[in-house]
Amino acid sequence: MTEATPVVEMRNIKKSFAAVQALRGVDLTLSHNEVLGLMGDNAAGKSTLMKVLSGAYIPEEGEILIEGKKVHMSNPLDARRLGIEMVYQDLALANNLDVTANVFLGRETVSAKIGPFGIMDSEHMEQEADRLLDRLKIKIPSVRLLVERLSGGQRQAVAIARAMAFNSKVIIMDEPTAALSVAAISEVLDMIRELKAQGASIIIISHRLEDIYAVSDRLIVMRQGRKVRDCAITGNLDDFRSGVVAYMIGARDDFAEVTANG
Amino acid sequence: MPVSFKDSLKEQTRNIRDYGMYIAFILIAIFFTATTKGLFVSSRNIGNLVNATSYIAVLAIGMTLVIVIRHIDLSVGFLAGTLGAVAAMSLKYWHLPVGVTIPLVLALGVAAGLATGFLVAQMRIPAFVATLAGWLLYKGVLQLVTRSTGSISISNDTFNALGSGNIPDIPNIGFLSGVHKITLLLGIIAIAFFIRGEISKRRKTQSYGFEVTPTNIFILKLVLLSAVIAGITWILAGYQGLSWAAVILVVIVLFYAYVTTRTTVGRHIFAVGGNPEAAQLNGISIKKITYLVFGSMGLLTGLSGILYASWLRSATTIAGTGMELDAIAAAFVGGAAVSGGVGKVTGSIMGALVMASLTNGMNLMGADISVQYIVRALVLAAAVIFDVATRRKK
Repeated sequence: MTEATPVVEMRNIKKSFAAVQALRGVDLTLSHNEVLGLMGDNAAGKSTLMKVLSGAYIPEEGEILIEGKKVHMSNPLDARRLGIEMVYQDLALANNLDVTANVFLGRETVSAKIGPFGIMDSEHMEQEADRLLDRLKIKIPSVRLLVERLSGGQRQAVAIARAMAFNSKVIIMDEPTAALSVAAISEVLDMIRELKAQGASIIIISHRLEDIYAVSDRLIVMRQGRKVRDCAITGNLDDFRSGVVAYMIGARDDFAEVTANG
Repeated sequence: MPVSFKDSLKEQTRNIRDYGMYIAFILIAIFFTATTKGLFVSSRNIGNLVNATSYIAVLAIGMTLVIVIRHIDLSVGFLAGTLGAVAAMSLKYWHLPVGVTIPLVLALGVAAGLATGFLVAQMRIPAFVATLAGWLLYKGVLQLVTRSTGSISISNDTFNALGSGNIPDIPNIGFLSGVHKITLLLGIIAIAFFIRGEISKRRKTQSYGFEVTPTNIFILKLVLLSAVIAGITWILAGYQGLSWAAVILVVIVLFYAYVTTRTTVGRHIFAVGGNPEAAQLNGISIKKITYLVFGSMGLLTGLSGILYASWLRSATTIAGTGMELDAIAAAFVGGAAVSGGVGKVTGSIMGALVMASLTNGMNLMGADISVQYIVRALVLAAAVIFDVATRRKK
């Protein structure tokens, strides 16, 4: 495997629900240490595509390669074992548990096993959770605080720390900045930058163009189950915005020609 | 890691609920001691109180976990009664030894619990409805099996010792006469283990660089709780010593407290209660946890049935009536949250003890039964109101 081998390569992914074709043959590549933005109107197929990548949906056609190796995933746990981690929009946190418990939810470190009972190594998990949150440069007073007592940005940090905890190769974030205050949004964007600086490969689904522009290297726009734009993020925000919106609403649809012309 | 004063206060508000219950219990004990001229804290009464609490407390532990995963179990009262009748029949009519009868009853309990689990986890029937059906079913079964005989008396001494017997003592050796020495010894061992455990936990926390409670508060806590254990031990040692029911209860509490706080299974139970979708997404099987929790409820119901039958030395046609509601009340007084995800094994035991103390104390005072119900209603309501109020204040 060389650095040039993409971390993720999805080829010609097709998926339909009853009569609705949600994905009509989509290609996606994600390079090492790249932040890829994924945009599109509602029902464009971006969430479906990410659910295919995270093992929640099984595509009818197409193949997925992780670091050059073809893989088959039939559930989210398969994807996790391959190092694909999803940060859900509602964060999937248990409010009644503390920060550490949420970071390690379902994957607790066990120091001994007596019959069916795995004895948890709480101190190890607390130190590890502490270290992960430090890496995100986010202030949470104690990893023993219940998640229900945290702010929106802090909760997002816990969800991201969980995704980082097990040597993940790819972190997919579904609308990480939706329903957050302005201050919390900038915290989350800082966290994403920090993750990239530390070498992570990330895919972000978002409705918020400014946020994609602020942290992503490349952008894919989807419309009606197809990829309509795949480009590096360059230029100023206004040009970027008008370009992207044209593709999102279907005013421009020249993906085939643009690709053919190089 | 530095913890700001405000955050440490926030941490404390969580504990207020626990402390509040201990304080309430002590106030109740003091009140009844005063109004009954010391009868309430007499060795004999405390011994009886512990025995009368044990079969509800055992149910309350199981019920707390059921409530934690957002369900309820109304069937356990009559199931306990039915299983007690099975135990009595096994001993009296089938002539099975105690060593076979007890495992048989516990196994039937687990099977009944798993059947409830099947209805709830597999058939997706709301637990309230599924266990209401169980309530009717076991009430019918209990009447059916006891109809021809009426109450079944149990004459097996080993079996009866479980609910009403006491642990043996070393014969009198000249000092501390009239005091149960093994009970005292166990009390001293318990205090030693408690202090050692707390100190090593604190050391470990410190060595990992986490914040601990200030030394003076820590010592105060050690002294107070040690004094409580010592006091209870001394009182119990003054009559016939520790009962087998108390020993069984302590073992069950320690086991369940350990499993719920220190093992992955326990963590997963609370995760399912707090956010089922999140638990599922993180690879925790809600079905498996539901089966496990109802299976454990069944096991504890079997144990409760055994304790109750051996306490009465017989199985009656109405055994277990209302026990499910007492267990539910104990769980809520003990801090379990209706919304799920919150509850403590030690809390449910305190809840059961508070409710049983009220009944016991008011009986000693000669209070009318109607007044007793009203007082217990107020205590239950107050506990839940306190819960909701402290939870809302974030």
